[in-house]
Amino acid sequence: MDYFPPSAVDLQPVDGHQGRCQPPPEQCKFPHRPPTMTAAALPAEPPACPESPCRIPGNKGIWAGITCEFVEFGVLFAVYFIARSHFPQAFHDGAQRLSVTAGTVITLLMITSSYFIACSVNAIRQDKHRPAVIWLIAGLVVALGYPLTKALEIDWNLAHGINGESGIFFTVYYYLTFTHLVHATWGILGILWVLARLSFRGYSSEDYAGLEALASYWHATDIIWLVIFPLFYVLA
Amino acid sequence: MNSKNDHFSRLTVAWLALVALTLVSLGLSEWFRDARWLPLLVAAIIWFKGALVARCFIESHVAHPFIARVLSVFVAMSPLALIATAFFGGTLARWASL
Repeated sequence: MDYFPPSAVDLQPVDGHQGRCQPPPEQCKFPHRPPTMTAAALPAEPPACPESPCRIPGNKGIWAGITCEFVEFGVLFAVYFIARSHFPQAFHDGAQRLSVTAGTVITLLMITSSYFIACSVNAIRQDKHRPAVIWLIAGLVVALGYPLTKALEIDWNLAHGINGESGIFFTVYYYLTFTHLVHATWGILGILWVLARLSFRGYSSEDYAGLEALASYWHATDIIWLVIFPLFYVLA
Repeated sequence: MNSKNDHFSRLTVAWLALVALTLVSLGLSEWFRDARWLPLLVAAIIWFKGALVARCFIESHVAHPFIARVLSVFVAMSPLALIATAFFGGTLARWASL
């Protein structure tokens, strides 16, 4: 029985068949065909089977959010590369002052939590409810290591005289990594919500779109960190 | 049990590859710090890791074309910008000057 109402990661289509296996939508088979209904009148499509081509992982709402997230970080990365092209020496020297250990630990935490959450989706697809809960709890615990490591890293930075006014490299470093931390925090809150729903059997192999939407968001946030890590910690 | 839907081994291999590439990139930064081709290799690793997450974790190869394109563009964007900055930094700085 589902004790929790749907949230942002659980946008329900009007027909109530969220996450159930359906053949690929007609619009996907013919992506260039103009729609015959207005967007307001168009009912939401239930996602196709996991192996169907043209399926939407999770739901449309989360992909609107992920696309906005990519646009936001695209702008921030553009600022990084423009600043780097203007001040190559500052970026070369600045990276050598950061804690490579902290950057590596955060990378391993992000990769591992992404893997655990992907395993949770894999388990629920096979109707293995208990393993799905365990994988998601493991993903949450590992994900919580990120803000913890970041706090220790900032403490280490301040102890070594590194703050937002230490130069162009550190200004870019702070606003890019803080923005990523904010996005990761939203993801952690999302994991908590989905875990609560999963614990009360809110998802099954027939209906797991909310869990998959959360997983998609977390993987997208992981991809962004996989770009940030080499730009600030590796290219010294 | 439907073993066809069980992608556990594929996910595990992808995770191990991501961990290995992270450690390799650390080694590269230590051993080839001043090598001119280092940004090229780092760009390749960024692209490969992003593509691996997109394909194995998000399953972009069976996703809607819009989602697959968004992921492809975002994963390719930073490596290309890194190569442009590393080899044509002066030109890029001139273009980006007010």
